[in-house]
Amino acid sequence: MSSGKFFVRRLLQGVFVVWGVVTITFALRALSPGDPVNLIAGQVPDQATRDQIEQDLGLDQPIYVQYFDYLGDLLTGSLGYSYNQRRAVSDIVAQHFAATVELAVAATVVALVIAIPLGVVSATRRNQPADYGATFGSLIGISTPNFWLGIMLILIVATQVGFIPTSGRGIAFHEAVYSIFRYGYVGHLFEWFTYIILPAITLGTYFTALITRLTRSGMVDELGKPYVTATEAKGLPKTLVRYKHVLRNTLIPIITVLGLQLGTLMGGAVITEEVFNWPGLGQTFITALRNGDWPVVQGIVLFIAVAFVVINIFVDALYARLNPQVSDE
Amino acid sequence: MISDRIKANLTSEFRQSVLAKLGVVLLLSILLMGLFAPVLATHNPHEQGHTNDAGASYPPYGLSDEVPMFEDGDITYHSVDGTSEHLLGTNDIGQDIYSRFLYGARTSLLVGLSGTLLATAMGVPVGLVAGYFGGRVDDGLMRVADVMLAFPSLVLALALMGAFGRGTIGIPDPIVLAGFADGMPETATFPGMVVVVVALVTWVWFARVARGEAMAIRNEEYVKAARSLGASHATIMRRHVLPNSLTPIIVLATIQVAAIILLESSLSYLGFSGTTLSWGYEIQRGYDYLPNQWWIATIPGIGIVLAVIGVNLIGDWLRDALDPNIEGEGGGGAG
Amino acid sequence: MLSTRTSRAKAAEVLADMTEEILRVEGLKTRFFTDEGQVNAVDGVDIAIERGDTYGIVGESGSGKSVTARSIIDLIESPGEITDGRILYRNQEFADGIRDDNPDAVDGAWVDLRGVSSSVRRSLRGSNFSMIFQDPQSSFNPTITVGEQIAEAVEVQRRASANPRSTRARSKEYTLTSLALGTILPSKRYVTPASRERAIELLELVGIPDPVERADEYPHEYSGGMLQRAMIAQALAGEPDVLVADEPTTALDVTIQAQILDLLDDLQEELGMTILLITHNLGVVARMCDRVGVMYAGEIVERGTLEDVFDDHVHPYTRGLLGSVPDLEGASDRLQPIPGNVPSLLDHEMNRRCHFADRCPKAMEACLEHPSEHSARGSDHHAARCVLTRTEYDEARALADGYFDEADRPAGDKHVGPDERDETLDEDRQHPPAETTGGEHQ
Repeated sequence: MSSGKFFVRRLLQGVFVVWGVVTITFALRALSPGDPVNLIAGQVPDQATRDQIEQDLGLDQPIYVQYFDYLGDLLTGSLGYSYNQRRAVSDIVAQHFAATVELAVAATVVALVIAIPLGVVSATRRNQPADYGATFGSLIGISTPNFWLGIMLILIVATQVGFIPTSGRGIAFHEAVYSIFRYGYVGHLFEWFTYIILPAITLGTYFTALITRLTRSGMVDELGKPYVTATEAKGLPKTLVRYKHVLRNTLIPIITVLGLQLGTLMGGAVITEEVFNWPGLGQTFITALRNGDWPVVQGIVLFIAVAFVVINIFVDALYARLNPQVSDE
Repeated sequence: MISDRIKANLTSEFRQSVLAKLGVVLLLSILLMGLFAPVLATHNPHEQGHTNDAGASYPPYGLSDEVPMFEDGDITYHSVDGTSEHLLGTNDIGQDIYSRFLYGARTSLLVGLSGTLLATAMGVPVGLVAGYFGGRVDDGLMRVADVMLAFPSLVLALALMGAFGRGTIGIPDPIVLAGFADGMPETATFPGMVVVVVALVTWVWFARVARGEAMAIRNEEYVKAARSLGASHATIMRRHVLPNSLTPIIVLATIQVAAIILLESSLSYLGFSGTTLSWGYEIQRGYDYLPNQWWIATIPGIGIVLAVIGVNLIGDWLRDALDPNIEGEGGGGAG
Repeated sequence: MLSTRTSRAKAAEVLADMTEEILRVEGLKTRFFTDEGQVNAVDGVDIAIERGDTYGIVGESGSGKSVTARSIIDLIESPGEITDGRILYRNQEFADGIRDDNPDAVDGAWVDLRGVSSSVRRSLRGSNFSMIFQDPQSSFNPTITVGEQIAEAVEVQRRASANPRSTRARSKEYTLTSLALGTILPSKRYVTPASRERAIELLELVGIPDPVERADEYPHEYSGGMLQRAMIAQALAGEPDVLVADEPTTALDVTIQAQILDLLDDLQEELGMTILLITHNLGVVARMCDRVGVMYAGEIVERGTLEDVFDDHVHPYTRGLLGSVPDLEGASDRLQPIPGNVPSLLDHEMNRRCHFADRCPKAMEACLEHPSEHSARGSDHHAARCVLTRTEYDEARALADGYFDEADRPAGDKHVGPDERDETLDEDRQHPPAETTGGEHQ
């Protein structure tokens, strides 16, 4: 079937994209001025140690050999070893990715829960105070750097609301859920919530603003289409016209925009994690970059690229499912 | 290129829109602040030690602050009042925040504008050629664009800064050299590597938009006619393709100025900039002094928000007036 | 074709005392309040439709015919508004059901729809009035199956008849909560399996082969003609008294057009529906209608039986329209367009003269006064808004050629083409294009 072909083509494109990302980050490591040997030895080593380390890392090989060795390692599932943590990069990624996924999902939920109703209100009460409010609010939302927003939230919370922590993660979501099922204790979930709420708002604000804008303009377009009048003409209740028909059709194209904005979300996560000391991939990435720990940097970028590719294939499939006109092409 | 019709649209849209006027006012005032920073500044932005006798930094004028001090093993609180000498107060090491704000405006706008220019110069020719000739060149560009899209722009920018280092260029400040502002820094530190990096991160948007326009224009009758009359590809590109793709490129460029200002502030917040006269860097400094010296982190952030709102409003104005029909994906960037 | 219709109209006249009016529109005015100014899309229209008849409103695009139809069925949205007139609908059961709440709007079996609340009017949609639209492809939601969309219309009717009329308007609407629950629990969904069954029956009724399979297909999988059949099925779901058909065949191929008209004809016979047909196609009018109203610039300029209008017309505009259609009998297949443009319906650009005078080959000095409606040829069912109802054309009193070219230009810039416009206007004085009539608003 054509959808199978489509899937294979998208998969090949995805492999190409991941290869491109891997190659660019490899090139950046090769260009970077830092000396990994010093990092690994922890000091300036003697010549024998240096030679030993260079040989272990393959740094004595020509650059193209190093490149193909790296690709070979990736294909066998090895992301290499951190220069200064003495651990496999895959372990480091595995340790931190859940925190980042949690934060990204929470931010997306915050954004969707606020933005869609706001966009609907804005579109259905055009040029009324609610619309102006939403429009101006989303203008500020897309214009505010999220690290500053995070700091302002910390400032307000630290001075006004005592029980919300301004740094760290506290407890993992799955642990909090586990303690509900195992012990019937809800406190952990509440604790999880208090830790994640500020980072989620910080990361989610830009998307809230973006989705509000998209929902508003999409719905305004959609409301002007003839089928809306036809649906009204058959006497369908307003709720159904507005939500089952119009809003649904508005949101279908927005899904693809969200897929493409995943990069922005991950970029935002990097800086949000830094502000809130959130132990995710972003903070690990920044630390590794500051230390010149390139294998970790490469591993995290690779992980993000793979996530981007996989999620966008999924998004395309979902879009094709929701929009029957596309699936037939 | 810019026809009378476009001018008329711009003017009428501008007259109708309060927000467009607000945008122009905001951007213009920040532009002027940055341009004349040496004249408007009250202190050399690098000069430290503007503290009260006990070494506490000043709050903004009109406010006062209770500062804890260690004296003989005890904590005592001293009241510090803001002074008109330092309108927006001083930071942790006693530098004048108002003066640093002005210089920060300079950095933000300089990086925003020159980064956008460089990205345009890189992306537009590539996009025009790919779109005009199509085929393999075009496929190649689209695959490169796919790869760039998979990189979060902030992550790529950070990795590039990590690999290239934080190179800066010292540019002599003509206002100071001409003697209009004694005591101000004689050279401005221009974060050249940041400009290169943000251009490397954003050029692909320009390439995509230029490609789309070139593809559309390639099939226009008058272009085919020009071709059949023997005009060379280069002539057609210069005479027809480029002028007609200007409108969407201008709109995109405006949006990208906002995105790049945000990107620069993120980079300098994370310490990957190279200059200390930057709003993002200043916010990073203030982070450590929350919640007591809250103004150090708060004030530069307001600068960023106002500048970006100004640019975005102008972008909306141009978009409404010129209706270039570009996708929203190029906008925003990392916040 | 014409002859069968004419004889039927004659039969209707003979049986005049046995027919009854079902819908009467009196002095209807619908305005659009746009940035460019007030658009008088419908400017005092009177229509009387008898049960089981087909009433045709014919006119050029921008004449306000479509807005008239939408006003009747209450589909005028902001910036549009019905500003004046009465829309009277005769239905004893409906009148009894709402009399207590709306004593002023009810008179015997007649209800003035302008005097009842919007929720009451809404409750008439689908079940008492329904509508089919010009372009079936854009009038269905592209992302929902055709069967589901027809089933929705069935459901509207099913739920309506489950509630007594008197409480229907006050009964709860389908809430957002129900919608949210419906996405999880099939039993809470708006559309029930029974409605789906009925939708399939309706598809069969309008002659769609394999209705079970086709019900699960999406609009883009249908051909234009099939989809128009599906839209008719959807309109029939509520077993309406009055079917408003807005250019039902315009978007279709000629061969398909005939099939759709046959279908409408058969269904009308079978179900005893009243049809209000909006069209610019006089062939369709001749084929379908018992009575006709000719619309121009928001007014009905001539009305009567099909025979009155086709064979015995008074208004030069009607004459012009007939001249601009390929003659069905084949006497002439040259299309003769009426010279000039459809006038602007912007209030500040409209003159108090006869709106057609500038295009009228028989314009006289008397036409500088706005004509009121008078019966034509002494008939009680044939009337026209034209001085020629009372006087003969007199060349001596005719307006000179080019009279309006000079008279109109300073006032309205009406004949400036869109291209010249950009050059001549400075940005302070932006006039809307002359075609902005608001007539075909959506």
